[in-house]
Amino acid sequence: MSATDTPPAPPAEEAAPARPVRGRSLRKRLVPYWLLLPGILWLLVFFALPMVYQASTSVQTGSLEQGFRVTWHFRTYADAFADYYPQFVRSLLYAGTATLLCLLLGYPLAYLIAFRAGRWRNLLLVLVIAPFFTSFLIRTLAWKTILADGGAVVDALEGLHVLDVTSRLGWTEDNRILATPMAVVCGLTYNFLPFMILPLYTSLDRIDPRLHEAAGDLYATPAATFRTVTLPLSMPGVVAGTLLTFIPASGDYVNAELLGSTDTKMVGSVIQSQFLRVLDYPTAAALSFILMAVVLLVVTVYIRRSGTEDLL
Amino acid sequence: MQEYEAERLSAPQLAAMRRSLTGGRGALTRRSLLRASGACALALGGLGALSACGIPPAAREGDGAAASDDHSAREKRVTFSNWTEYMDVGEDERTRPTLQAFTERTGITVKYTEDINDNVEFFGKIKPQLAAGQDTGRDLIVVTDWLAARVIRLGWAQRLDPANLPHAFANLSAQFRSPDWDPGRAHSYPWTGIPAVIAYNAKATGGRTVDSVTQLLDDPRLKGRVSFLSEMRDSVGLTLLDMGKDPASFTDADYDAAIGRLREGVERKQIRRFTGNDYTADLSKGDIAACVAWAGDIIQLQADNPDIRYAIPAAGYVTSTDNLLVPARARHKTNAEKLIDYYYEPPVAARLAAYINYVCPVDGVAAELAKTDPATASNTLILPDRPMAAKSHSFRSLGPQEETAYEEKFAALIGA
Amino acid sequence: MTQQQTTGGDVRLTGISKAYGSFTAVHPLDLTVPQGSFFALLGASGCGKTTTLRMIAGLEEASTGTVSLGGTDITALPPHKRPVNTVFQSYALFPHLDVTENIAFGLRRRRVTSVRERVAEMLELVQLGDFARRRPHQLSGGQQQRVAVARALINHPQVLLLDEPLGALDLKLRRRMQLELKRIQTEVGITFVHVTHDQEEAMTMADTVAVMNAGRVEQLGSPADLYENPRTTFVANFLGTSNLIEAEIVSAGTDVVVSAGGGTLRLPGSRCPAPTPPGGRLLVGIRPEKISLAPATDAEPAADGRNRVTGRITESSFIGVSTQYVVESPAGKALQVYEQNVEHRRGLAPGSEVVLHWDPAHTFALDATQDMDAGVQSVEDAA
Repeated sequence: MSATDTPPAPPAEEAAPARPVRGRSLRKRLVPYWLLLPGILWLLVFFALPMVYQASTSVQTGSLEQGFRVTWHFRTYADAFADYYPQFVRSLLYAGTATLLCLLLGYPLAYLIAFRAGRWRNLLLVLVIAPFFTSFLIRTLAWKTILADGGAVVDALEGLHVLDVTSRLGWTEDNRILATPMAVVCGLTYNFLPFMILPLYTSLDRIDPRLHEAAGDLYATPAATFRTVTLPLSMPGVVAGTLLTFIPASGDYVNAELLGSTDTKMVGSVIQSQFLRVLDYPTAAALSFILMAVVLLVVTVYIRRSGTEDLL
Repeated sequence: MQEYEAERLSAPQLAAMRRSLTGGRGALTRRSLLRASGACALALGGLGALSACGIPPAAREGDGAAASDDHSAREKRVTFSNWTEYMDVGEDERTRPTLQAFTERTGITVKYTEDINDNVEFFGKIKPQLAAGQDTGRDLIVVTDWLAARVIRLGWAQRLDPANLPHAFANLSAQFRSPDWDPGRAHSYPWTGIPAVIAYNAKATGGRTVDSVTQLLDDPRLKGRVSFLSEMRDSVGLTLLDMGKDPASFTDADYDAAIGRLREGVERKQIRRFTGNDYTADLSKGDIAACVAWAGDIIQLQADNPDIRYAIPAAGYVTSTDNLLVPARARHKTNAEKLIDYYYEPPVAARLAAYINYVCPVDGVAAELAKTDPATASNTLILPDRPMAAKSHSFRSLGPQEETAYEEKFAALIGA
Repeated sequence: MTQQQTTGGDVRLTGISKAYGSFTAVHPLDLTVPQGSFFALLGASGCGKTTTLRMIAGLEEASTGTVSLGGTDITALPPHKRPVNTVFQSYALFPHLDVTENIAFGLRRRRVTSVRERVAEMLELVQLGDFARRRPHQLSGGQQQRVAVARALINHPQVLLLDEPLGALDLKLRRRMQLELKRIQTEVGITFVHVTHDQEEAMTMADTVAVMNAGRVEQLGSPADLYENPRTTFVANFLGTSNLIEAEIVSAGTDVVVSAGGGTLRLPGSRCPAPTPPGGRLLVGIRPEKISLAPATDAEPAADGRNRVTGRITESSFIGVSTQYVVESPAGKALQVYEQNVEHRRGLAPGSEVVLHWDPAHTFALDATQDMDAGVQSVEDAA
């Protein structure tokens, strides 16, 4: 506490000769800002500028031939939202479900790697990120084989009458999984699982194992230890992992395109299609901003609710 | 040498031709773009910035200025961007025999890149440079006709010099000679034709034939196992034909009716998905029993899976083309033209046709192929015979507003 | 202070051992910690003391043997079912909980009511009332240590285990906490088992000390007993400093006479290891502070009946309360002598010839077959 206090000011008579010293220290104090400069420039050019550009696009009107002009046409936002709110709702729903599944699947695995894996730890970590060594598209396409009609997965689930239940819930259709919401959620879960596991692992790994011993020593059963010590201490990882999963998943369109059907399209598909097919740049830009705003809102509420602002 | 005579050209088409001859400077120079982005940077953070960032009109009148920039004589090379699997490959899987022969004959080296995977993506890639009036670094590109139409309409394709294209002029099949979007083939030559027909997996249909869009949409035994293509012109075009309309001359009402017909299929869950190229695996596995498919894919699939069949709908089918274009500001236009012409020599075209499985737009290839590869020569998916060619239709070109409106309706149909 | 509710009973370790693969951390040992005692396990790092402690806590599974508490076998119980609590080395406080919740942790797990009052009482005991809502990282080391003690004590364990609880503190604070822990133990009357490598800490606090070396208990006893009557060279060297002189027995009786370095020394027969046949060998030991120094030139250096050794001072160092000398003599190369600084002594500079003399009753003897330097090195290691 006192160690960080600034040293006492020099006596008054030293003020004059101290000036060059102060100049030097000023330059020294600026060093961190100089180091920040490349990063700030990068963000400015490759993040801020495109944002401004897209913001501008979203309030333009026109066409590719006639050109687009800023007309402050904010109606685009209202229209875009009104036209595509089912896709927004769907995006949040799918991304939320996939995030939850990632958490349920990823937590035990991260826990195992952090506390139980011993010398297998590095191998397991490599395996977690191994899917990244192939392309996102190829990985997603592989799921078409896994979930194929009449394939092993479908047969097994059908045999267990799981598909009857999921069909009634509208997650699957008849006796297939492909081209249904379930397939899209499976794909999202699979593709974003590493983004959940890695932050979870890092935060679990940081927990002193003696805290588990201490909890056990203080009459906590293993379950109570998990609930009162491990879980609260891993909250930063849970929050980081859910954000890293939820945010990109809600903007994803590849899974919906390849594993889904017409009624499983997410808002990412709409943006892609408006930008590239319909060439309605303002609507596409407006949709992007609405998505950004919605995700920001969801994330803010989530962080508030989870009470982890100070842990982040 | 002449362009094909555009005898049946409409008034607007003739006007378009005249415009393309007169030429003019591009509306958006590099300087104006710099000015625009500079203004963005200065006003960053303020809303004022937003109004400075309009997207200037893209359309430019002609390309007269670009022609004078031809460096073909001094630089004996040409850069050719194409789709994957669109070029013959030698036994060793590394050389490209027809390209090699071209270089040996002309001394022009070809930088061949397979960097086109998707029309919309590729358009997104080259659009900024073209819009800014800059060289894309490519002398020759291959895009599907609707995109070729758009590129030509925007003035981003160079006008070809018929004097450099004697073989191409002579040998282009009649069916491809005068698309409404490029009358007389002033800017483009087809690389391949791509018929969209009906394909089915005989095992999945229980041995039954599927040969019409009506059947795709109404046969209850195909429910949930039908796919259409996410390429609007192919799916809607076949549906229009099935409804007795001509995709070359339909009205807004016809279009809406076709969309309505497809929507009904979606709502009844008859249609499972709208797909890109990824339908092939589904069809082969039988997850998709029947679908709208591209002919080239069928040939490939049949080689691996004898259950794959195709049918030419009695109502007709839609053929689109992938077209060679020289983008504006390309440095080696003459070299590119020589390369186009080379591929219209029947022996070269035959070598290519035997390899890439798509419809060959070159007359005189059948005779060449009959000598070297009789199986390919008799495959009507590659060399359509007269009855088959007669059923081929092309989708009419769309005006800018029309295109946006139609794409929007189609996007709503496919869920996005 | 709170009512002590322990129904009593000693901690009894029977044949307990721990092996990791081929490495034996603790050799089978029997140990009884009487109820209510302050018991220290003393030894250098790696001697097995912490492992022994963890086996009592249940954090380590014993390879053989049993742990019983008040006559109940608890060997098979997991830690959370043992009426035993631990103060961990560097405390292992829960960083996400404040002081109150850290202390209340054990009570909440057992669904005890009146948590608030008991926490308040405990905060009082460890004098941390003002810090109830702080998080551990906002506390100093000493405060954290007291929270750790409170967190364990609030459960009224039958035994409190302390694993190097003061190791992370600086010297002054450590001294204070030693007294404080001792005070708390006296106040609550719970059995404390304290693991430490600091012999001074063990001697200050514990009623009984078990000195461990290489997975075995070398000697067990009260601090004074261990200090005055070490039975092994390890204990003699590890606890304080000993001068060990190789000697040969001349005669045995009530007093044993030995010859060493050309002279003879005497010591009580009761302080010799069992058989003392003439001609046998012994290690004769004498603590440095028991030795007096006189310049060899003094007319009457020492009274009769005292053991005498002559030598020459090679080093002297003044450390305030005393001066420490190193003396080279025929009996030993480097005999240590501590002289109280009662008055200034002349003629005791390095190089001076001196006579060392001490009361034979202060002399002890050890089995000569042991390594004379056992325990010397390890003290330095641990320090």
